[in-house]
Amino acid sequence: MLPEFYQFYHPTKMIFGEGLSCDFAHELEELNVKNYFLISDHVIQDLGLLNDIRHGLQQEGFTITGQFLDVPQDASLAAVKEVSRQASESGAQGLIAIGGGSVIDTAKAANFTFSEGGDLVEDYSGAGTLTRPLKPLIVIPTTAGTGSECTNVAVVYDVENKAKLAFADRFLLPDIAVLDPLMTRSLPPGLTASTGMDALTHAVESYIGIDSSPHSDALAGAAVKLIFNNIVRATESGDDLEARGAMLIAANLAGTAFSHSMVGCVHSMAHVVGAAFRVPHGIANAILLPHGLEYNFEECMDKIALLAPFMGVDISGLSVDKAAEKAVEAVRDLNKSLNRAGNIPIRLRDTGVTKDSLTALAEAAVEDGTSIYNPREVVAEEILVHLKNAY
Amino acid sequence: MGVFENSEKFEAVLGGFFKLVANTPIVADKLLKSKLIIRFNYTDPDLILVIDCSGDAVDVRAGDTNTKATVEMKMKADIAHKFWFGKVNLTMALTRRQMVAKGPVPKILKLLPAIKPTYAMYPKYLDENGYEAYNIHS
Repeated sequence: MLPEFYQFYHPTKMIFGEGLSCDFAHELEELNVKNYFLISDHVIQDLGLLNDIRHGLQQEGFTITGQFLDVPQDASLAAVKEVSRQASESGAQGLIAIGGGSVIDTAKAANFTFSEGGDLVEDYSGAGTLTRPLKPLIVIPTTAGTGSECTNVAVVYDVENKAKLAFADRFLLPDIAVLDPLMTRSLPPGLTASTGMDALTHAVESYIGIDSSPHSDALAGAAVKLIFNNIVRATESGDDLEARGAMLIAANLAGTAFSHSMVGCVHSMAHVVGAAFRVPHGIANAILLPHGLEYNFEECMDKIALLAPFMGVDISGLSVDKAAEKAVEAVRDLNKSLNRAGNIPIRLRDTGVTKDSLTALAEAAVEDGTSIYNPREVVAEEILVHLKNAY
Repeated sequence: MGVFENSEKFEAVLGGFFKLVANTPIVADKLLKSKLIIRFNYTDPDLILVIDCSGDAVDVRAGDTNTKATVEMKMKADIAHKFWFGKVNLTMALTRRQMVAKGPVPKILKLLPAIKPTYAMYPKYLDENGYEAYNIHS
């Protein structure tokens, strides 16, 4: 059945290729901007990933007016303000972000005041506060998970007030996303596995969610297939550039899908587990994904069953419920494989979560904003059953 | 021309409904838990309504431009009308700029499950208060 209404908007130009991060300068010509400010972090700098990018741009006549490398693990308000200030003072006309989700979100949020001036929180926190495009933003992801290079949202942590600030706007979408497998080659096995499972969760939840559409389904299904075919390879062998590339593309497809169709109760649970016990988001999603699918099983087993072939599961001759069961089983098996290859935990008890916290976590999950997109109403007592199963 | 003839009529209809919601414990208790102060800036016709959940009871005030709101929502009166029938997907409306939200949007999203009962209350309220003409179901 078709949705009553949906829309699809994706102006970000995506370019993919090995070594492209040092050879994309000609793509910038159409943006009519010559001076760029770089945002990254010290890990990326220490890995030597920035020099070649900088060199590639300078060779083509572009100027790097400055750089900011102090992006913390979670994008912070202080870092965002500093990027905006330094970029403005350096005379830059555009931003280039090289890093994972935090670096990219920092650049996206900084672009508000870098382009328009004003106060970030007072003037721009919320949704749809902008009325015209921002200055050019180019992003080069160094992880394959968040999909932040293709979403219209930036999340920033206000350390002082202990609050997460969300910014949503179509003009936040980067102008160009450069997907270069070489940029993820040095990602350790555990991070490769957990960020990849974050991408898988984006794809699966957007596929079964109440706001899914034919457009988002097409992207999500393709992402699931790429992830199932490549995540173990990429985790076992970081130098497998084909697997690395496939994971980058998958994360991008999944990011575009969930940017339109949202996520559900797996994220509701992962958010509260992450907030209470600092469990990394990808690991929480990996552990909770099969349990979230079981929570939604009766409500949308037909769509879960449709995911099975993308997961490489042969469902010929199976009833819908059996095919859906096979899909959930495939996710569990994938977690086990990644536990062996990347040593990521597969139970909540192995992440520092305490058993006596589960009731409070279930109640908090109901309050999470993502719960409203879940196919089945998120009820604390029922979520608790599945959190206990995941424990 | 929109659904409502003028600001006075719109205030009578929507302001009255907000007051009913404020006195409905199943919804009001959850709103109060949020501690939010939400200012709705409506256009066509113009109206400002503040829902103040920061005290012991939900307070609804028209024309309040002085109180510092946690979240400011801007939309046309017709969109608001449709919303209370449960006919507007909030996130989709934000994406389409049918609504503009300033402030912590996730806190507003968290209220959606709490206000679900109001979608059934709105048409009933219209019928019972002489506003049948605005009930799209009748």
